[in-house]
Amino acid sequence: MAYLLQHLLRDSAARSPERPAVADGDLFLSYAELDALSSRVARALLAQGVAPGDRVGILARKSAPSVVALFGVLKAGACYVPLDPKSPAARLAAIMTDSGIAVVLADQATARQATELSGSVPALRAVVVVAGPHRGGEAPVSPDPVSPGPAVVPWAAVLAEPAGALPGDRSIETDLAYILYTSGSTGTPKGVMISHRASLTFVDWSAACAGLGEEDRVCSPAPLHFDLSVFDIFASCKAAACLIVAPENMTVFPARLAAWMDRERVSVWYSVPSVLTMLASYGNLRGAGLSRLRTVIFAGEVFPATHLSRLMAELPGPRYLNWYGPTETNVCTWYEVPPGAALSAPVPIGKACANTDAFAVTADGERVAKPGQEGELHVRGPGLMSGYWGDADKTAGVLAGNPFQAAYHELAYRTGDLVTLDEAGDFVFLGRRDGMVKTRGYRVELGEVETALYAHPAVREAAVLPVPDELLGNRLRAVISADEGLTREEVLDYCRRRLPGYMVPDVVEFREALPRTSTGKVDRTGLQSTDIQRWDEAGGQ
Amino acid sequence: MEAVINEYISKELVQDSALLPLGNATSLLETGVLDSLSLLRLVVFIQERFGIVVDDVDLVPENFDTVDAICAYLRTLDGGKTGQAAGRA
Repeated sequence: MAYLLQHLLRDSAARSPERPAVADGDLFLSYAELDALSSRVARALLAQGVAPGDRVGILARKSAPSVVALFGVLKAGACYVPLDPKSPAARLAAIMTDSGIAVVLADQATARQATELSGSVPALRAVVVVAGPHRGGEAPVSPDPVSPGPAVVPWAAVLAEPAGALPGDRSIETDLAYILYTSGSTGTPKGVMISHRASLTFVDWSAACAGLGEEDRVCSPAPLHFDLSVFDIFASCKAAACLIVAPENMTVFPARLAAWMDRERVSVWYSVPSVLTMLASYGNLRGAGLSRLRTVIFAGEVFPATHLSRLMAELPGPRYLNWYGPTETNVCTWYEVPPGAALSAPVPIGKACANTDAFAVTADGERVAKPGQEGELHVRGPGLMSGYWGDADKTAGVLAGNPFQAAYHELAYRTGDLVTLDEAGDFVFLGRRDGMVKTRGYRVELGEVETALYAHPAVREAAVLPVPDELLGNRLRAVISADEGLTREEVLDYCRRRLPGYMVPDVVEFREALPRTSTGKVDRTGLQSTDIQRWDEAGGQ
Repeated sequence: MEAVINEYISKELVQDSALLPLGNATSLLETGVLDSLSLLRLVVFIQERFGIVVDDVDLVPENFDTVDAICAYLRTLDGGKTGQAAGRA
């Protein structure tokens, strides 16, 4: 019975020990190797005092070693927290402090960065270095410990741990498997807590929906802290398929990406639409082969109809699946794009996934039942998050009771997304209720960017507005009134030290003062409508 | 040509001011200046500014990793391929 994520690995390693589990450039891991190495990592974590329920950071890009690391954390009964190596140190420290991380797994490239974090996270007591199995060549080196700083456990010490299965489980299915930090409206990132049960609800459905089997070679360029990565890591593992790791920067050059996908015989692809738009426009797809590619899945933002049509015309072979859902539910609805359809509007987000229910509630509290009615999408089922780490109030605000269940208390998640129904009974996304926007597939709370701007001593007023962009979803435009002398470069620099790259404003505009409404609030509507034109004239695009 | 391209990248694509002034031999990939979307903006700029069409197969790191590489690539187009490439639009 598989009720923990690591049971998927146990079962696939028993059933198909020699099948490839991860292909990462020259580094291959079979299911038997992934199982054995992750058991060694788990024991190394236990030796560092990691207890059931502890949060363990993983500071690494997606790679064979980081897949070993996250299964090691789960086998130790702990919960993993992905830490993006490209995030500013201040944000990483905030996440580590918030979630109470004392042990971090790093790879060769990030080991030093991890030890240096102890400067701002005094609770950090150990950094465990994870690499791959050696196939000849030199043993990887570990960084010199920062003194005084956390203990550094080198990969050689991890390899000295026994490889056999750990006796017994250290978790139950309602325990947390991972915490994914997303943008928070009040200025600090919030940790979305996902249990084993919630994750497996998605994994079981997604593996079946994509029809994954042992022969599949599954690739998603999404990093570990983006919930798209749950699919290629865990659904592949369930099916004993092979996870293909895209090399760093591979998605930058479309034709090279297409040629690489063909060479790697990728059969299932999962990414945000913008990468696929680039492939359709510049990927030279008709010459790229890609005969093995049988399923293309996209999620994270709206796929403009013109670009999706072009992609499907250039590459007519695969199935095209639109998966929808916030991190709090992983995927909750899905839609298969009919082949050859003439698309004039973004495709629907579709119907609820297996073992999940989705319904929309109108402003009057009625259930949306027919086309034309609008309401906020609600989701119920075992796939919901457990809440936001350490924030019961924020959790209660979105994990409210199911308004249509009077007999007993049942949780339903309010997505904040406004939807309607089409004639076929599919949900269609209309927009957001609040200040959250999508850019590059990531969600950004405009308030979090504004809070970062207000933290600058020279900033008097700040408003961040979305500028719709076909490729990016939205670009971010900051309008600021500030003391004399503050430059655009200083503002951007300041943001980059506090926010991940996708949250840094694309455009910075200075004003004497921000317009106000009669109630004294910043007049966002006024800023948005009157200024786009001026901004366009100034050369923005 | 180097100055025009350097100025565009410095003003429009570089977010980290620690990279400025941008060297013509600085790797745009390794410094994170180029991602799939900033590359697209750069290509659109180059096409409009120099009146050429960048072919799909020319969109490779060898041609776009540094300001110098971009200029070297553009000069190969000037050396006879420009008209041909523009004709492919």
